Amino acid sequence: MESTAPLPPAQTLVPGKPRRSGLQRRQTIEAWVILIPILLYYSVFFLFPVVSNFYISFTQWNGIRGAPVWIGLKNYLRYLRPPYTLIISNTLLFAVGILLFQTALAFLIAILLNQKVKGRGIFRALFYIPTLTSAAVTAQVAFAFISPYDGVLNEILKLFGQPIVVWTINASWMRAFIIVYSIWRGVGGPVVLFLAALQGIHREVYEAAMVDGANGAQMLLYITLPLLRPMIIFVLVTGMIGSFQIFEAVLLMSKGGPANKTNVMLLQIYNDAFVNTNMGLASAGSVIMAILLLGFSITNMRIMSRGQVAKN
Amino acid sequence: MGDKKRITLQKVLTYTLLVVGSILMAYPLLFAILGSFCNIEDFYASPIMPIPKHLYLENYTVMGQASFPILLWVKNTLIRIVWYITIPGIVAMFGGYAFSRLQFKGRDAVFTYLLSSMMLPGIVFWIPTYIMLARFPGAGGNNWLGQGGSGFINKWPALLIPGLVNVYYIFLMRQTFYSIPEDFEEAARIDGANTLQVMWNVYLPMLKPTLTVMVLFQAVAMWNDYQWPLIAVSGNPDVHTLALGVQRALLSGAALKGWPPGTAIIDYPFTFALATVASLPTILLFLWLQDYFVEGVQGFAIKG
Repeated sequence: MESTAPLPPAQTLVPGKPRRSGLQRRQTIEAWVILIPILLYYSVFFLFPVVSNFYISFTQWNGIRGAPVWIGLKNYLRYLRPPYTLIISNTLLFAVGILLFQTALAFLIAILLNQKVKGRGIFRALFYIPTLTSAAVTAQVAFAFISPYDGVLNEILKLFGQPIVVWTINASWMRAFIIVYSIWRGVGGPVVLFLAALQGIHREVYEAAMVDGANGAQMLLYITLPLLRPMIIFVLVTGMIGSFQIFEAVLLMSKGGPANKTNVMLLQIYNDAFVNTNMGLASAGSVIMAILLLGFSITNMRIMSRGQVAKN
Repeated sequence: MGDKKRITLQKVLTYTLLVVGSILMAYPLLFAILGSFCNIEDFYASPIMPIPKHLYLENYTVMGQASFPILLWVKNTLIRIVWYITIPGIVAMFGGYAFSRLQFKGRDAVFTYLLSSMMLPGIVFWIPTYIMLARFPGAGGNNWLGQGGSGFINKWPALLIPGLVNVYYIFLMRQTFYSIPEDFEEAARIDGANTLQVMWNVYLPMLKPTLTVMVLFQAVAMWNDYQWPLIAVSGNPDVHTLALGVQRALLSGAALKGWPPGTAIIDYPFTFALATVASLPTILLFLWLQDYFVEGVQGFAIKG
């Protein structure tokens, strides 16, 4: 891996061979004094869990007593059958649904905020504030909004003369509501990111394009979008990783119901592990989840180790 | 002339969309805050937006009852915030220093090894970490083989042991070190300072902006942390954190006020009051230090 800003070679600091090796020795010793505790901790609480999680996924084990019993691919095969197939497709539906709408909305809002707008800070704050709330608390509050007989949303429906919806037993409405809630809570981060990237584009670029007779749509298509490409990729990749792990909204509003139609992977893994104490099946689910996200995670790591996303 | 008109139309459209958008964003929060000052009659009198006829504070004062442990949850959460700022902060500072300032064999390999944890979703660690804490030898009634008891589950150590090395913060700190010229350290070294003195006197003041961002994001993350406490300590109310305790108590208003059964199933105004108490601190912190937050979110992408 390449460092972003390579250090000057050590010998330029202190000339002379013996001194140089002394400096190197000091640096090596200090580095390991710092890193050995970190690496020890990290191996116990990262490497060991990952490896044992992988092993447990091939076993039958309640995690409480006895030893894990090897059952081969049985746990994984369950993920090829209902309801697990439905749970995986629900997760994809939520992840992609949230991601696309949220990113598009955030982009639009950032474009609007990037114009000469009075009170930009206040608008930005209003879009960002829901992100600062606890997902568990706001999901539980959102649940009050869809209460069938006294919830706000049904009151609004009644106001427009529409029949009320019993949300928790209506899969399509429940899915839509979970997506809307998640976007409400998640749109702020991408807004801030897109706005920062937009403000990094120099005005002269647009002015030059205007002199050449470009219209707004052309400038968006040929200037803004290409220059924002790294940021768009970053937002999409991190957004996918985040929205794929949707949990609180489903746990606290629908519990995965009706009939698993809003159930998602993380909730099922949680239930398998800590409610049904089937650690093997839950571990298999988490491995599948990691594999499904691997492409996005690798891209994310590449972006990070390259060291920057959008310095225009 | 025509040009001016177009610009005006664009302005109108921009403000309309922004105002509508922010009203939709603020609506649930405003609803909750206003609803929290209503008694149940006022609350149901105007269902689209509850308007308190007079300032009704019982939804808040009822939280002061001795049987309602909200202060304990706040205390537990604050302990975690301090802990998860201090330890990962020190680790990130020294880790970032080692990966940016010190030359040693295997530096890139070690860094890649640490970075690889970011490739996996948290759930991959949860299950084995839970088992590890539950089967900890000698803890919580366990024998030396880790059998027989519940280990650290539902106890403080479960809330304090995982997540002390935050690779992301090490990474952020390393990037910050790269942005600082080396001359400062060299000058201090010539004056005879050792590494700890260099860290404390030279770098600490210069790392302040990054550290502030880190502190703020850790504080918000820990204030809202729900998933791990739910898994690790939900069986012991004494170690509940704020988000977990509040989430479980949101619908308990009717019982807390001692309403006779059948009065109302759920006391929503109380629900909203409790949610307000749980959410307001982070929102106020943000409004106070908005620039740092914005810089932090950007730093996640630009620096990070």
